[in-house]
Amino acid sequence: MIITGLAIVLLGFLISLASLGIASGVGARLTLVLVGIAVSLTGIIGVLNRAYLSKAPWRK
Amino acid sequence: MKKRTLAIGLILTLRLVPFVAAQTPAAPASTAAPVAITDADLKAIPAPDAKARAQGDPDGSLTGNVSDITVADPITDKTPKAKGLTIGDMANQIGQNKIAVNFVWTLVCGFLVMFMQAGFAVVETGLCRVKNANHTMMMNFMVYGVGMLAYWLIGFAIQEGGVGAVANLGNSPVLSREFVVTLFGKSFGLWGQGGYFLTHGGAYDIFVMVLFLFQMVFMDTALTIVTGAAAERWKYAAFVVSSFVMGAFTYPLFANWAWGGGWLANLGVNFGLGHGYADFAGSGVVHAVGGVTALAVSMIIGPRIGKFTRDGKPLAMPGHDLLIVLTGCFILAFGWFGFNPGSTLGASGNGALRIGSIAANTMLAGMAGSFGAMLYMWLRYGKPDASMTGNGLLAGLVAITAPSGFVNTVSSCILGLIAGVLVCLSVEFVEKVMKVDDPVGAISVHGTNGIWGVICVGLFSDGKSNYGGSWNGVNGNVTGLFYGDPGQLVAQLFGVATLIGFVFAFSFVVNFLIDVVVGQRSGARVELEGLDLPEMGALCYPEFEVRAASVGV
Repeated sequence: MIITGLAIVLLGFLISLASLGIASGVGARLTLVLVGIAVSLTGIIGVLNRAYLSKAPWRK
Repeated sequence: MKKRTLAIGLILTLRLVPFVAAQTPAAPASTAAPVAITDADLKAIPAPDAKARAQGDPDGSLTGNVSDITVADPITDKTPKAKGLTIGDMANQIGQNKIAVNFVWTLVCGFLVMFMQAGFAVVETGLCRVKNANHTMMMNFMVYGVGMLAYWLIGFAIQEGGVGAVANLGNSPVLSREFVVTLFGKSFGLWGQGGYFLTHGGAYDIFVMVLFLFQMVFMDTALTIVTGAAAERWKYAAFVVSSFVMGAFTYPLFANWAWGGGWLANLGVNFGLGHGYADFAGSGVVHAVGGVTALAVSMIIGPRIGKFTRDGKPLAMPGHDLLIVLTGCFILAFGWFGFNPGSTLGASGNGALRIGSIAANTMLAGMAGSFGAMLYMWLRYGKPDASMTGNGLLAGLVAITAPSGFVNTVSSCILGLIAGVLVCLSVEFVEKVMKVDDPVGAISVHGTNGIWGVICVGLFSDGKSNYGGSWNGVNGNVTGLFYGDPGQLVAQLFGVATLIGFVFAFSFVVNFLIDVVVGQRSGARVELEGLDLPEMGALCYPEFEVRAASVGV
């Protein structure tokens, strides 16, 4: 789960970066960079953090 | 009645006369031809009379005059045919004076930022419990040394090794080695390669020393953010290793991309996105880098024992000294006047006089942030919470850091007010939804509001600030979405995507490895007893020894 989470976080960054090459308009780049940010946040909050919460000591 | 009306009218007319006079257009400036100054004119300027000078200079009218100008070819008894004072000497003196002003300005502002370490230290220590006070204070104290060592050895070269000439600091060309790759047909600067140990590659240069001092204290600010979020359970040895790596690699990499001539700064030149990523004093470079690293470390080491109940409900763990918390906030607000206005790297030339506007923006955003947080807490919980109000002040200051050089005072108040509310919402989200333990609210103050500040540049920049005609190599002024340039907002969002997607991931991997090798978290017994005795060997408040021991296992 941790590796998956990290991969999703990095994927978000790569989506944003790729928008520089695959899009030329400001609107298209704005959309892609927002998608990239959303993907990275999903990786941090939705996957990585959940992985740590699932084994949190206060749950025991 | 009529007489009284007439008298009032006369008084009003008399009072209005000066006002009307003040509004009349000024006479046109003289159109006389400019007077040419020659070397002969300079030689005719008299130096103060020696007898008068010997009497002292109580009013300062004699000190600082033509005889203080350095002359390249002075006339003496042995060299009566020398040139003496020339226009060239005058020009050189003016140039040196400009750089001297900028050196002094940058150094003094750096000294102010260095003092912010004291503010961070007491804010974080005050928000921790008595049994961890020595440990928290020592982390804040030694992050200065650990970070500086790493930055001197490696970090500065990575960040500034390819920055090129800085006009306000003398245009020295010694830092001009950037490692560059080509992507999408454009150059992407990744890291600098000159200036290791401040001697490598001609870096033994006065300009480099000034830049190092100023940038070093910024870097240390980012590092000390993490110590707050990880306080009360971070193993001291892990803190030392983690801080060294952050000072050597994590911070300098992003700082190079934003400030050192790297790819983010060149998004405007290469891809037509506004003026590229613009971060005047470091909402992103300093605060968000510290904030996302703090989040990574906090997730890895987990919450303090007792912070959450078994069903995940967070419990309050109040700090031990609100007095030093709020005093620390004032120290930080004071230091911020070095942080933001100092980022012009000068007080003379290339739009540097905008320091007045930057200082006013900084002051107002901090005020608005404290109001935002205080009002939010008052309305939501019935009391104007002191520590959150302090965090609101800091949140406003963090948010104005990136846009301080590009926005007006109304925007500063708006973005500061939003930052004050945002920090409260973020603290609740981090604690209640993510269930990440952050004893001082560092993730929210610096991470969330650092990112908010970066976005604000893309929204509120009013296009009125001109720093020598261009920013990041793009002609014209930085202008945000509300003033007509959506491209600037996109450039800022690239910075946000990099902070969340790359810097967080990089910090997470580094600290995960440190966790595997060194172990990030202190043991449960040590944590319950308090980290002061087991980790540091001494209590911060020895008279509390009995009480501290009594809470042990």
